Amino acid sequence: MSSDRIGRALRATAIPEPPEAEERGRRMVAAAFAERKSSDASGRSELWGAMTPQTSERRPLPRLALALGIATLLAALLLSPAGAAVRDWVGDVVESPAPKPEPELARIPGGGRLLVQSAVGPWVVQPDGSRRLLGDYEEATWSPRGLFVAAAKGRTLSAVEPGGTPHWSLTAAARVRDPRWSPSGYRIAYRAGDELRIVAGDGTGDHLVNPDTAPVAPAWSPFGTPEVAYVNAEGQLRIAGSEKSASRSGAPPDMAGAAAGRDVTRIEWGAEGRLILEVSPSQLHLQRMRLSKLEGRSEFGPRTELAIPPGTSVVDAALAPETQAVATVVTHWRDHGTNSEVLVFPPGAAKPRSLLTVPGSLGEVAWSPDGHRLLVAWPGPSQWLFLPVGRARPRAVANISTAFAPGERSASFPRVEGWCCAR
Amino acid sequence: MREAQAGSGAAMARLYSLHWRGAYRAAYLVVHDASAAEDIAQDAFLAGVAALDRFDRRRPFRPWLHRIVVNRALDWARREALRRRVDGAESVFEPLPPPEEIGGELMAALKELPAEQRAVVVLRHLLEYTPGEIARMLELPRGTVNSRLRRGLDRLREAAEADSFAEEGR
Repeated sequence: MSSDRIGRALRATAIPEPPEAEERGRRMVAAAFAERKSSDASGRSELWGAMTPQTSERRPLPRLALALGIATLLAALLLSPAGAAVRDWVGDVVESPAPKPEPELARIPGGGRLLVQSAVGPWVVQPDGSRRLLGDYEEATWSPRGLFVAAAKGRTLSAVEPGGTPHWSLTAAARVRDPRWSPSGYRIAYRAGDELRIVAGDGTGDHLVNPDTAPVAPAWSPFGTPEVAYVNAEGQLRIAGSEKSASRSGAPPDMAGAAAGRDVTRIEWGAEGRLILEVSPSQLHLQRMRLSKLEGRSEFGPRTELAIPPGTSVVDAALAPETQAVATVVTHWRDHGTNSEVLVFPPGAAKPRSLLTVPGSLGEVAWSPDGHRLLVAWPGPSQWLFLPVGRARPRAVANISTAFAPGERSASFPRVEGWCCAR
Repeated sequence: MREAQAGSGAAMARLYSLHWRGAYRAAYLVVHDASAAEDIAQDAFLAGVAALDRFDRRRPFRPWLHRIVVNRALDWARREALRRRVDGAESVFEPLPPPEEIGGELMAALKELPAEQRAVVVLRHLLEYTPGEIARMLELPRGTVNSRLRRGLDRLREAAEADSFAEEGR
């Protein structure tokens, strides 16, 4: 056998490639290059122009340099595929009334699958609207590609197929809450009592990360690095590795720490690892993370507050997939009653744009996997609102409570736990 | 490289476009895991960005990048082998869907080689480095490189012959 033949075979053989792997890497490298040259705004604009496919190279005019510098981050993110959706509505968003509801969920606008927690347990909703109850679990979360669900009940954590078949279970020393599957699929972080723990995706290697944490779900680094963010009992946002250490407790060392906002209820690590969103009833903060994947760990950068309207409180907020856009639901407390508003902060913007205002209270907000839509819960009239961020028509679906509590007359409104993976 | 060092995003983009596919393929052929190969190729380019200012522009970028790719791929393969030994069983980790065609007996045989042998085979026969260059990249004695190559090729030869028979039989 000749060397040539082996070489030809190695060069020509078809090999699998994750979808958009090259483009993902291009964006990552572009971000790292932009960070390296962060003081050179015009250089960054050139970079993004050059590194975005189907975009001609740009040579910004000197008089535009300052404006481009300010708009760089926004422009960069809008050029990404997921940012394309955001680009559609920047400048076009107008406040609109709630759409007339459809009587039942016949399909999920935009596709994907929903994981919905009801009083009787979590449900998987398929793109055609069909749904299946997974069991009598109290909480559930998608695995990264939606092949499994991590579900909790009492002191038990289980990995379950979307069809309901359990793969494994473990019993913790205290009640299990807030399971979160890592983007690699290799780890699940969860809270057991006050402890933050991590277990491998096959149910092995369960170990302690921190014995004293706040009641906030952990958030994995989307880089694929084995790091998890959590809030400790002192209200400090911290990053920990996911591997056991050689110490007596086996707890991995914390890698960094920063003060979190007051009364943080939710953290979300997104925007390709560059931001952690901190949600509290009175404030929204974006904690910037430095790109230091090469060193195998993340570091905290500056922290900025997103300005919500005065006199409102935050119900929920979520980072858009792959971009720095933030969607939030806020409640206005007025003398004559309560209004709720859906706001979106475009990437890099300090002020939000309003998508919708309705009377009463709205609930949680979730981005579609492609970043084109928001799902907002509206418990009062038992509706889900599907709000496109482009020019598409918003949709509403009624009778949500009864859809997830068949046979019940007075069902509680279910909670959307995740909108996953169009497959 | 010179333009990228001077801050040209366009030059960095050209470097990326020129070398990404080769880096990914090399990583994949060592680790046989698409997600890991993506991470490894991405890491190598990020290392390139981080080291841009220190890079000796008289040296070519390609071997420097491939050295990082293959060493990281080897690290990953060793960790993965250790994990499998420790865990003792396959996990419910989520592999990517298998490709329709991975490439016959030769690829299967390559996958069965120890990672160290795969790495030198990939460096020699995909990326076409000399044994001396491979020895420097992997910081190995040249004799070790030659013996790994020889053992790897012996295994691949049998697979390639099986492929030939299969092709003739069609």
